[in-house]
Amino acid sequence: MSYLEYTVKTVPTGLRKVLYINWALVVLLIAVASAGFLMLYSVAGGSLQPWAEPQMLRFVAGLIVMFIFAFVPTWFWRNISGVAYLIALALLVLVDVAGSVGMGAQRWINLGFMRLQPSELGKIALVMLLASYYDWLDVKKVSRPFWVLVPLVLTLVPMALVMKQPDLGTAILMMLGAGVVMFVAGVSPWYFAGIGVLGSGLITAVMMSRGTHWQLLKDYQYKRIDIFLDPGSDPLGAGYHIMQAKIALGSGGWAGRGFLQGTQSRLNFLPEKHTDFIFTTLGEEFGFLGTTSLLILYALIVLFCLHSALNNKDRFSSLLTIGVAATFFFYFAVNMAMVMGLAPVVGVPLPLVSYGGSAMLVLMGAFGLVQSAHIHRPRGR
Amino acid sequence: MIRTPLRPLARILQARAAGENPDAIERENIRLRHEEMRDRSRDQAEGRLLMLGLFFFCAFSAVGARMGLIAVAQPSEPQLASNTGPTIPTDRADIVDRDGRILATNLATYSLYAQPQDMIDPIHVAKALVKIFPDLDQARLVKDFTGDRTFVWIKRTLSPEEMQEVHDIGDPGLLFGPREMRLYPNGHLAAHILGGATFGREGVDSAEIVGVAGIEKQYDGWLRDPANAGRPLRLTIDLRAQAAMREVLDAGMHLMNAKGAAAVLMEAKTGRIVAMTSLPDFDPNNRPVYNPKVKPGDSPLFNRAVQGLYELGSVFKIFDVGEALNLGLVTPKTMIDTKPFRIGGFLIHDFHNYGSKLSVADVIRESSNIGAARIAMMFGGDKQKPFLQSLGLLDPAPVELTAAAGVQPIYPKKWTDVSTTTIAYGHGISVSPLMLATGYASLVNGGMRVYPTLIETAHPRIGPRVVSEKTSAELRSLLRYVVTSGTAEYGRVKGYDVGGKTGTADKPDPQGGYYHDKVISTFASIFPASDPKYVLVTMLDEPTDTSGPVPRRTAGYTAVPVGGEIIRRVAPLLGLRPTIEPADQNAITLARN
Repeated sequence: MSYLEYTVKTVPTGLRKVLYINWALVVLLIAVASAGFLMLYSVAGGSLQPWAEPQMLRFVAGLIVMFIFAFVPTWFWRNISGVAYLIALALLVLVDVAGSVGMGAQRWINLGFMRLQPSELGKIALVMLLASYYDWLDVKKVSRPFWVLVPLVLTLVPMALVMKQPDLGTAILMMLGAGVVMFVAGVSPWYFAGIGVLGSGLITAVMMSRGTHWQLLKDYQYKRIDIFLDPGSDPLGAGYHIMQAKIALGSGGWAGRGFLQGTQSRLNFLPEKHTDFIFTTLGEEFGFLGTTSLLILYALIVLFCLHSALNNKDRFSSLLTIGVAATFFFYFAVNMAMVMGLAPVVGVPLPLVSYGGSAMLVLMGAFGLVQSAHIHRPRGR
Repeated sequence: MIRTPLRPLARILQARAAGENPDAIERENIRLRHEEMRDRSRDQAEGRLLMLGLFFFCAFSAVGARMGLIAVAQPSEPQLASNTGPTIPTDRADIVDRDGRILATNLATYSLYAQPQDMIDPIHVAKALVKIFPDLDQARLVKDFTGDRTFVWIKRTLSPEEMQEVHDIGDPGLLFGPREMRLYPNGHLAAHILGGATFGREGVDSAEIVGVAGIEKQYDGWLRDPANAGRPLRLTIDLRAQAAMREVLDAGMHLMNAKGAAAVLMEAKTGRIVAMTSLPDFDPNNRPVYNPKVKPGDSPLFNRAVQGLYELGSVFKIFDVGEALNLGLVTPKTMIDTKPFRIGGFLIHDFHNYGSKLSVADVIRESSNIGAARIAMMFGGDKQKPFLQSLGLLDPAPVELTAAAGVQPIYPKKWTDVSTTTIAYGHGISVSPLMLATGYASLVNGGMRVYPTLIETAHPRIGPRVVSEKTSAELRSLLRYVVTSGTAEYGRVKGYDVGGKTGTADKPDPQGGYYHDKVISTFASIFPASDPKYVLVTMLDEPTDTSGPVPRRTAGYTAVPVGGEIIRRVAPLLGLRPTIEPADQNAITLARN
């Protein structure tokens, strides 16, 4: 059901678009980012350097990107989604060839002024492509095997490239984001059930084969699985993070130790304290009240996106908004779960709060797409 | 599914009849069908979106609930299964001196242990530990940390500095357990009296302190009794006197090139021990382990004052003379034959020729063996043995030290005439310096037997009478005489009328004879001599005074100056005022003629 079938007349044009921006969403984004600035300031021991100030500059740049994206009509984004996807794929291949190795994984391309993480771009490009794919696809065909296989392949290719870096966390986020788009687009739930059964069956087979002569993996690979499942068995790595993070969160208690009073994070007990584990600083200094406040802000952002999608009669816009919201949601949900020991440590930053350049820019760009969908939604009949 | 036909014939005919284009109907129907399909897909999408929203809500709730749980969780330190053992009572009672100064107390410290399964980098930890504690064996630590052991003791007690350094290693597998340790803040002072303590049953949270020697062992049950917690055990020791005595004795021992020394300072009228030192000594905070290569008598753990049995020589002459005076056989003025004589084939002789006769007073002053032997022959062994027994010289000293109980003085089983004569001048009988001090105190305090004690609160046992008041007074004058004009002239202390008797005894060699260059040099002294409050026995083991042209070993040049110095230092501490010596009738009449 294409956009062109609606009357375009009621869509705002020119500077009037400013009035139709989802301003509540903008305010929420600024609020979350500000929490991030506070935490980065605190983690640096009460200093704007080396993290808070660059982060602010990036956020301002991100806002500008968001507004530019927002003013571009949605149909433009739909039309370039295929190109965006190919560019992202090309960058993912390039990072394999020429990327910098950071923290034991090849994730960045150094552009000189910033380090680009193509996997971030890939997530959004994939969501865009799937949204326009289902916009193009006849609703009747959505659940037919061939037409399910196509988006599956479209998802698995960038996923495989990301996993090779290796960046399991981003690969899982990609899969989850794509899955949500496909689910909302109307793919039969039986496919999801089937994939679930297949996945658990495979895992069972792999684990069952351990120690028998038809063992499917090498011993050291099983050991890695053990560590993945039980971080405590590898206290040098994941287990130590989790332990210290829990101590920090627990020591925050109800209202926290107070701004700049956190010890666990500021005394360097926590590695990655300014990136993946910044949530613990919030927990330590502002306690349960602080963490739930941030959680509510995040929830509101997702809620506004869902609301916008629900009221958008354009299929592409709606699916794109949902895809971005889902990606955003899985971002912080996995991060929080990881920090609190509910999920294994996979290296996912806290969106808008963790220190990081390309993630912030890409995310703000994605919200620009959401805003664009919101501004250019079809009105009336 | 019933579908509306796109071109229903009835309507088309109707339209044709009305002259309208029937295609419009088809278009209209296609539009309606599309709209219907779109609405259905929208409904489905909305349903799925709501499901998604529900899922998000659940995820939010889970994360929020988890945050709440972590926030309200009470911090709990990791606990060990072995912690759940019975609690070990601690709070051992302090030991204090007579004025309440601390001699032994408890200090809260931490022990260090490891749980290797929690360790991040065992090799690094082992390396870092060896850097802090050089006495640890790195290879062994690595073996312990990487093996199957789940619990490894590393150090029993840590100083705060060591604890900080271990803490700085920052390994979660290194853990500290609180424990009380016994602390002797005065180090070597009164080491042999206090003994020492070690850990008995050990838990992670506490450890049992067990006394291994001295008062700590003797009173182990009392000190541990929770009923006595906070109530210190008060000793008769005066810490100041003990410190002064140890300092002087240590200096004297080195000055006189002795290999050991002992001193006992006792209240003459009660037997309370004010200070007691044996050198070399040790630090009870770090009690040395038993070393089988060192002869037991030379070990720093050996208490010469209590456990050491020595032939003390001429200091015994006072017992000989005391008995004769008490029996009325002689007076200080009685002249004694001092020509060498044989008894049982054994020649009794003196170092110097004192002429053919000496008064009893001069026998003591000049320390004539012949004179002493002659006097002993007046009353004989039958009376000599019970008399020495009454002074406590033939039985273990009843002092409250575990080491004292088995120390039985050595004397001949068959008390022959030869024994009687040699024991008269202190040979053929071995007693400890503490026993000698007890004997002297009993003689000079007015004649009442005293018993050595270290416990301030115990009521001192006194009696029975061993010599008469008169004899006691005569003996005091004799002892004073030795210091004013006899062998102990170096024992004079300005302001204090010191009395005393010297003894220099050749040490027995293992072949059954005697060394000629190894002596036990003793000075048994009393002060003030007119009314003795204290008895001091000073003993040096193998001293040689090399300050003169020829090496001198006799007590007058070795033990006496040391003893005199101890008195000079200790007497003011004990509250004795310097006095002008009262005129002594005997002293004047006994002057050499």
